[in-house]
Amino acid sequence: MRQLGLGLTIAAAGLAMALQTARADEELPIGVIAAQSGSFVSAGNTIVGAANLAAQQINDAGGIKVGDKTYKIKLYIRDNRTDVNVTIAAARELVNDIGVKAIWGTETHDFSVSMAKITGPAKVLQFSGNSSLGAVLDNKAVAEDGWLHYTFQSEPQEWQRSGSTGKGVLSLLTPQLKSPPKHSVVFVGNDATGQYLSSHYVKALEAEGQKVDLVQYPPDTTDFSPLLTRIKGMKPDIVHFWYNGDSTLTAFPQALKLGVAPSYFLFGVDPGIYQERSLKADVPVTLSCVPVCWGSSPYPEVKQYFDKYFGLGAAKGPQSSVSLLYYDYFFWYAKALEKVGKIDDPDAVVAELLKSDYKGVVSPVPLVFNKHHQVTFATEVCMVEPNTSDQFKCAVEQPPAAPPPGDNGG
Amino acid sequence: MDIFVQQLVNSLSVASVTILIGIGITLIFGLAGIVNFAHGEFLMVGGMATWFMVGAGMNFFVALVLAGLLVGALGFAAERCLFRFTLNRPMNGFIMSIGLSVILQHAVIRVFNEFQKSITDPVGLVWTIGGVDIIAMRAIVVAITAIIVAITYFGISRSRYGMALRASVADRDTAELMGIPVRRYVTGVFIYGSLLAGIGGALMISLFPITPFTGSVIIIRGFAVSLIGGLGNVGGAVVGGLVLGLVDGLSAGYGYPEWTDAYSLVVMILILVLRPQGLLGGTLGPKAS
Repeated sequence: MRQLGLGLTIAAAGLAMALQTARADEELPIGVIAAQSGSFVSAGNTIVGAANLAAQQINDAGGIKVGDKTYKIKLYIRDNRTDVNVTIAAARELVNDIGVKAIWGTETHDFSVSMAKITGPAKVLQFSGNSSLGAVLDNKAVAEDGWLHYTFQSEPQEWQRSGSTGKGVLSLLTPQLKSPPKHSVVFVGNDATGQYLSSHYVKALEAEGQKVDLVQYPPDTTDFSPLLTRIKGMKPDIVHFWYNGDSTLTAFPQALKLGVAPSYFLFGVDPGIYQERSLKADVPVTLSCVPVCWGSSPYPEVKQYFDKYFGLGAAKGPQSSVSLLYYDYFFWYAKALEKVGKIDDPDAVVAELLKSDYKGVVSPVPLVFNKHHQVTFATEVCMVEPNTSDQFKCAVEQPPAAPPPGDNGG
Repeated sequence: MDIFVQQLVNSLSVASVTILIGIGITLIFGLAGIVNFAHGEFLMVGGMATWFMVGAGMNFFVALVLAGLLVGALGFAAERCLFRFTLNRPMNGFIMSIGLSVILQHAVIRVFNEFQKSITDPVGLVWTIGGVDIIAMRAIVVAITAIIVAITYFGISRSRYGMALRASVADRDTAELMGIPVRRYVTGVFIYGSLLAGIGGALMISLFPITPFTGSVIIIRGFAVSLIGGLGNVGGAVVGGLVLGLVDGLSAGYGYPEWTDAYSLVVMILILVLRPQGLLGGTLGPKAS
């Protein structure tokens, strides 16, 4: 009797293992590296939120049909703790130990570049939403033997984003001012991303005929009043709060109280947040989001997306829209896998991504990767009516055809 | 000239919150001998509690008092459950406090979320005097800070409690032999310092939004203020806060703005090299205990 029991146990264990193996065969392991703790958590959580939503939708729709098999996405989410060393360790684990086929993440240029040095040699695809990757994605880097051949930039090039943003801001503000604006001050955090992004934005504004002063503040500044007082002394027509939505939300109310300028532009501040905070200004204020605003979107697809995204429990914040830099690419990647017919041929998947397009949520125009593995899409800029918190007028501005003078495009 | 006066006014209000956190640190570090790196998170918790209460419809000034009491209670729990076991080993307490700061950050993220929180200006007035814009809430913050500084200063320098406390710092063993309940005094100082952090957090969120990570930034300035002024010296914390506030305000206005933090830390280094005991002198910190 005891032997029979033992035999049944062994048989059951064997069956369980077989089933496990069969189930493992149908899983598509995908890694997500994002800050779920530490100071980048507000951006990091949006990557995780987008990945969870996309994986759930793909799996609920039956999974990805590759050849004669159907794969369900299995996410391996790792918290990088806002630490580049943890990011590298997580990338190594996902690539070497778990064997993921692709990785989504992460929040910043430096972290993404560090990850690419691990994903590249292992031929693991990487989707990173950092416009600053444009500084390293060149012909040599993305060539078949290049270190960024498997890396894709899921945010437009910075000169494109800066160009369309600058044009949108000026077109909305100019009719609101007594005379056409001539003098802009760009106010930006003095960190690597701030320096990179503002270098393009300043040139974009200069290309629109603006005289531009750049004022940089130390990261983590909370009291902006001394710097804003200095800017007030410069008598600008527009103050552009650039790049960091959280810092902008701290600085902007202080600027209003000090009466720094006759108009403002707030980059990375969603109309939804403007409304939620009951912000009000007696002067014209424009806003833009990365990449599309959740609080006032012109596209029904975007609204539906954010309903589902927030429905999964994601918090509403200035950076919630960043999730859209990651969401569409799950579907595009799945489409490429189905077309290639194999999950173990990353070179073919890269080639397929480069020759295909995908109509996603982030853009009404199908997304296409250029030869440097970068996408292009338009920027939405909104203007809030003076003395209101919830009256927005939004416009979608297409990126310029070429970088402005003095901008090498990188 | 207007801009220069505006910068001076700005500097004063910048200094106020720094002074409050500096006083808390200088008392806890200088008098109780505890290096509490989580003191900045205590401030953050005070700010978050204020945000929550004001969001629930409570008057800001009531919320300010309750936030102070709440963080005072948090300080009591931390001292009784954690720091009292490290009084003879300040380094253990220091490391423990770093852990506590991370735990508090993520507890707040878990309870609320990771995004910054703000409240609408409780007063919402701007006075323009001779071309200088004075934000009324900032003036109130300066006034509240001045009242707290006065109470703390006279409490430490004139009251029996303060004298006994200073005696405990000078010679703990003798103070105990004289019947002074040193341990209880340490607890009292810790609670009071924490209470000030709670009030500081409430005042801070009335001026600027805060995030779960605000404390880790402000703690550096708090330690700088208490060291510049002289550990354990309330007047020193005020002077230290004013020095840093002026350096911050004027350097941001007239120097390289991106170096603002560096200017004030260079000043701190210079002062500590030239006057290791701080501008007004103080205790030698935990080692003295």
